[in-house]
Order: sequence, then structure tokens, then C-alpha cells
Amino acid sequence: MLTRLLLALPAVQGAAGADAPGDPRLVRALHLDLLGRAPTRAEREESAGVDPRGLVDRIVGTREFWQAWFEEELYYFLLIDTFRPTAPAVVEIPDRLAEGALTAPEAIHRILLSPNFSGRNPGADTFVTVVLEQCLGTTVQESPMLLAAGKKMYDGHAATLLGQAGRGQADVVKIVLDQPAFLRRLADRQWGRLFGTPLPREEGRRAEERLRADPRSFPDLVREWAASPAYVERLGRPRQKGPLQFVRSLYVDLLDRLPTDEEFRWTRNATRALSDPGPLRAVLARLLLASPKAAVPKSPPEDATGWVRGEFLRLLAREPAERELRSFLASLGEGGSKPADVIEALVTHPEYGYY
Amino acid sequence: MKPPERLPRRDFLRLAGATVGAAAVAGPGSLAAIAGAPKTKRVVLVAFAGGIRSRELLDATIAPNLARLAASGVAYPETVVRNVGHYGAALSVFSGCVEVAGIRENMRGANPTIFEYVRRGTGLPATQVWLSATGGEQQVNYAFSDHPRYGSAYGANLVSGEGIFNPEFRTVLEKFGKLPPPDAGREERLRGLRAAVESPDRVKSVAPNDPESAAAVARYLLEELNAGTSRLTGPGAADAKAFRVASNLFRIFKPKLLGISLIQADVAHSSFNDYVEVIRRNDAELGRLLDGIGADAELRESTAVLVLPEFGRDKDLNERRGLDHGDASESLLRIALVASGPDFRKGKVVKEAVESIDVCPTIAKIFGVPAESARGKVLKGLFA
Repeated sequence: MLTRLLLALPAVQGAAGADAPGDPRLVRALHLDLLGRAPTRAEREESAGVDPRGLVDRIVGTREFWQAWFEEELYYFLLIDTFRPTAPAVVEIPDRLAEGALTAPEAIHRILLSPNFSGRNPGADTFVTVVLEQCLGTTVQESPMLLAAGKKMYDGHAATLLGQAGRGQADVVKIVLDQPAFLRRLADRQWGRLFGTPLPREEGRRAEERLRADPRSFPDLVREWAASPAYVERLGRPRQKGPLQFVRSLYVDLLDRLPTDEEFRWTRNATRALSDPGPLRAVLARLLLASPKAAVPKSPPEDATGWVRGEFLRLLAREPAERELRSFLASLGEGGSKPADVIEALVTHPEYGYY
Repeated sequence: MKPPERLPRRDFLRLAGATVGAAAVAGPGSLAAIAGAPKTKRVVLVAFAGGIRSRELLDATIAPNLARLAASGVAYPETVVRNVGHYGAALSVFSGCVEVAGIRENMRGANPTIFEYVRRGTGLPATQVWLSATGGEQQVNYAFSDHPRYGSAYGANLVSGEGIFNPEFRTVLEKFGKLPPPDAGREERLRGLRAAVESPDRVKSVAPNDPESAAAVARYLLEELNAGTSRLTGPGAADAKAFRVASNLFRIFKPKLLGISLIQADVAHSSFNDYVEVIRRNDAELGRLLDGIGADAELRESTAVLVLPEFGRDKDLNERRGLDHGDASESLLRIALVASGPDFRKGKVVKEAVESIDVCPTIAKIFGVPAESARGKVLKGLFA
């Protein structure tokens, strides 16, 4: 990612007041971390006065939460674009997860057995290597015997892999997903989405045990982590938005709607095609703002102060400082800036890339 | 002199007008000589990646332009590589270190890349250091590392042509209408508004492009989106776009360092014939790039070109009549590197083993900058 910002906050400053009901930082962060996007106007209004736990429960209970989780997992396995799974058993995963008819580990199992995963990772060497690396964190170059056993099994011969006997590609997947390390890495990925750090060892052990005892407990883990004091503390250390979060949020913040699948796919690919997406993001922001679909006032609203404060809260999740407010109001007044200029300046500022 | 066993004899004879042993030409003295009055001002580094064996890469009937390049420079048919996956092996070329990375790992490397060494050591802006890549999520990580003293501020401007220059993205943009015409007054107001945002204590931008470079990049992107690059289709089209974008970048920005990173030869897993076709197409695109350089007197006299795959492929076909990359054979772990430039020797074949990680320190040497973390050495027998 090209726009790289160095964070200079104290290590633990916390986010004072962020655990208060409806705090904009918390509302924005929870939507970004759990749904992969900024909140819509309606969601911001609905979140006012809702306590953090209630908000977390509401978000994790939605199908969209599972869709976002599913998308992140596909991205983790780089099953995107032409490799995106199309088999009904995989496409229905978010629905089945939302209904409670499928668990997160079972969902990964379905993904790894899909023809698209095989197509993405053709041949015994690549397939077995990727399954071991992505699911268990194995450094395959250091375990040639393990790779050889997996390749033998993949090719349909009887073999023993990680202490279990099997024959065939499906057995390779089953045996790997039976390993404790798989559950820990599954939990680690979710922790990383919330905190931007590796899962602490003790928390990882606890999560692994819990998932092993009851694979359906994955959403409960997410709820506990997202509603924890540690999460509120994390808000004091802003994180860079990921490419998926940035694209979705830009559409939500400028058009108050999610991108369509096609818009998302091609916009994400375009911004991921650049080591510095800043110039393209600026072009995109200007285009969206200039379109009739963007609900932007043509001239400064009567309550310009309130409007500028609202835009800072909406886009940067913070109040403007007094000097910022004065500068923006002056620019809107005799400076000749239009409301669209204010919004463009905010969404193309480096701070918008963080949350 | 006996030709190396892995090279087709006719190609070896064609390439080796005057084969010499590396020991006869290598040494610090030759480097010192170019340091006095180096002619090389620009370097093009082509990671002809995707896994390509020497027997195809050096077959003049498949890759005539590469053969042409080799005849005008130095060929290293005994270049040692590691099988650390496409991503790790290509990154190794750029960083000069063996990069062990998972096949689907999507993290930046820890070691600085040649782009960072050159930018930091010379002070060049990002518009002078580019990398044109095929696409895919991992390739964007080649532009810069996570090294604390290098990183994004010294990164290359990377463009993955397939990701951005395609009809689908153009359609998405066109749905929203047309961009307003440039307005200097508005730009000034926007700069003022951004400058008024007081977040320097929380975040400090260290993006590769300064505002001026960013504006130039934005103009280029819009121009390229409307050019023919988006319409390239067919087998190997993504690689072809990387070459096409690189040619345009060379014409517009005349960068000092231009990398090109390919991948589509990996179609070999399922089809040997498609693999050969991808090599043919990429060689043709390489030929266009070389012709473009040759047609410009300034570029012709000042540009060095280095080409190498990240690793080879298996010795034998798999059951799908394709070629995998996992048999640990010399066919996989020895590749051909070709280098041609105004300060390089002409028409030589160096039989002594070198390594793909030698490319990074060699380019650093050309630019006179240190490559402090690189583990490779300056290529033997390269400089005249």
C-alpha cells in the first residue's frame, strides 16, 4: 500500500470516552472491523445511544457480518476474481453461517475443497504447500518429508500425514484442518482484523480450546473481543484501512451506499494495482463527488459550523479542532470553497486512510 | 569449448561469439573502470517470471529477442536460484536476499528492494523509479519493504496493468460521468484545506509520491486508461500489459530504474504449449521495448537491460502434459540471466555459476549506491 503513514501516538493512549454509547470512533471502527466498511447515515443515527455490547451483538448477528468474514477469508486464500468459488456449496456459506447451520471451520473446509481452490493451486506440490502454509503456518521448505507425504496422499496413494492415514486430496484437507494449529490460526486472523496485532499466546490457547470444544462458538469469540476494553484501548492507536475497507468506505461515505459487486471488484483491483493508490483514490473521490448520485450540498449550508463539524465526525470520526474549524469555515466563506471541496479534502487526506 | 549441457547447442553457438570464463573478466578492476566514466544512466530489470526453464528461454526459435539481447551482452546460463515459490523467488531478485515466503503469502518483505536502495541513495523522486507488474495481490509488495530505514517513502511507483487498465474498470468509472476539467484555483483551495487538517501528531504521510509526483501519476493513469492497453486480451495478455505499460512509462517519464515483473508462464502447470506461447508473446513484447530503446539515441546509449526468470521448471512433463516446479532438478534450480548495456561486455557467455540475488547489488553498483542488506555479489564478468 502506497500511502504509508507513521503513527506517532503514545503506545497506550487509549481512546477516552470511546466506550460511551454511540461514540463515533467506536461506531466507525466496529463497522470497519466487522463489516469491512464505514457506517451508513442511517446506521450512524441508529447507533446513537446504543451501548457498545449491544452494537456488537447487532452487527455480528447480521448476514452481512458473515459475508464480510467470508470475503476476508477468500482474500486470505487469494480466491478472488477468476478464482472466486462459484460452487453452490461455497456461495451459500454466508447464508448457512448466518442461520447457524454451518460453523466457521466447516466453511473453510468447503472453501478448500472447491474446484476454484484446486484451480488456484494446481498440482500436488502447490496444493499441499498452500494448504500447509495457509492453514497451519508450516514453513514447507523446512519440512520436505511432510510435503512429500502430502503430495503422495494428494496423488491418490495411501500415506500418513501428520500422524493420520489417508488417500486423496480430500484427506489432505481433512487431516490438516484437524490440527489444533488450524483453529488457532483461524482465531488469529479474526483477532488481527480487530486489533491489527497477532493473537496473544494465552488468548490463542483459550480460543483454540473453545473452538475445539464447540466450533459454533466462533461468533461468540468475536463478540467478546469486539466488546472488550482492549478493543476500546486499540482505538487510541489508529490503524490503516485495508484495501477492501477503503473502497467500500469511500462508496458509503460519498454515495451512502455499498458498491455493487462489480464496482467493488474492479475498484478494489485498480487500487490494489498501485503501490501508491493515493493518486487513483483522489481521481475516484472527485468522480464520485461530481456525480449526481452524491448527496452533496451545492452551496455552504446555513449552519456551516454544524455542517463542517458533522463532516469531520462522519469522515474522520472526530470533532475538528478550533483552528481547523476556523480554517474550513473561512475557506467555505470568502475562500470560495464549495461543500464538495471540503469533502474531497477530507477523504483525500492521509487521516481518512486510518481509523 | 564445451557448451553447457542444458543449452541447445545451436543457441549456445549463436550466443557465444566469444565465450569466456568468468574468472578472466571479473574483478573489482572492471567496476572501477566503469565508475570512472559510466555510460549507463538507466536500467531496465525484467523479472521474466512465472517459472521458465533455460531450454525454452534460450531457444532462439521461441525467444528470438532475448537471443538478440544475449548476443549484444552477457549470458549467464548457470544462474543459481532457490525454489521458494514465485513470490519469494521474484522478491529475492529485487532484494538480493533469499526470501522464503509462502506461496500465497501477502506480506511485504523485510529486506529493502533495489528500488528503495536506488531512491534512498540517489534522492530520485518516485516518478523516476517504476515497476510495471502483471497483477495479482502479491506483486504490489515488490515496490518496497517493511524495513524501518527504507520502506514506502523510497518505494517504486508500481502499476499492475491488468488490475487497473481493463474495460471493466473503465466502465465503472464511466458510470459516474466525466471528471470536471482541471481547475488550478480549486486545486489551490483543496491544498489549503488539506493543510488545515491538524493530524501531524497522529499521522505523518510518507507516501512514495510527493504532491507534484502524485499529480503526474494521476495524469498518467487517466491517459493510460483511455489508451489501447485496456483492450489487450488473450493468452498472456496480463504480461503483455505489463510490457506495454512499461514502454509507455519509459516514453513518458524516462525513469532511471524500471522494473517489469511477469507471471503468466506459470500456465505451464496445465499446458506446455500455452507456456511456450506465453514465452513467445512476452519475448515479442520485450522486442518492442528493445526497439523503442534502440530508436531513441539517448536511451540507446545509456540504458542497460537485465532479464531473468525467478526459477525454472521441472525436468519432465507432469501427467497433464504440463510442467510443475518442484522436482529440485537443475532444470528448476539453474536459470538463464541475460544482461546487455553500454558498460557491459558484448557477446559473452559466463559459464561460472552466479546467483539471481546478484542482480540487486549489481544494479546498486551501477547507480553507485550501497545495497547494505543484500546477500548477493556484483555479477562476475559483466562489466567491460
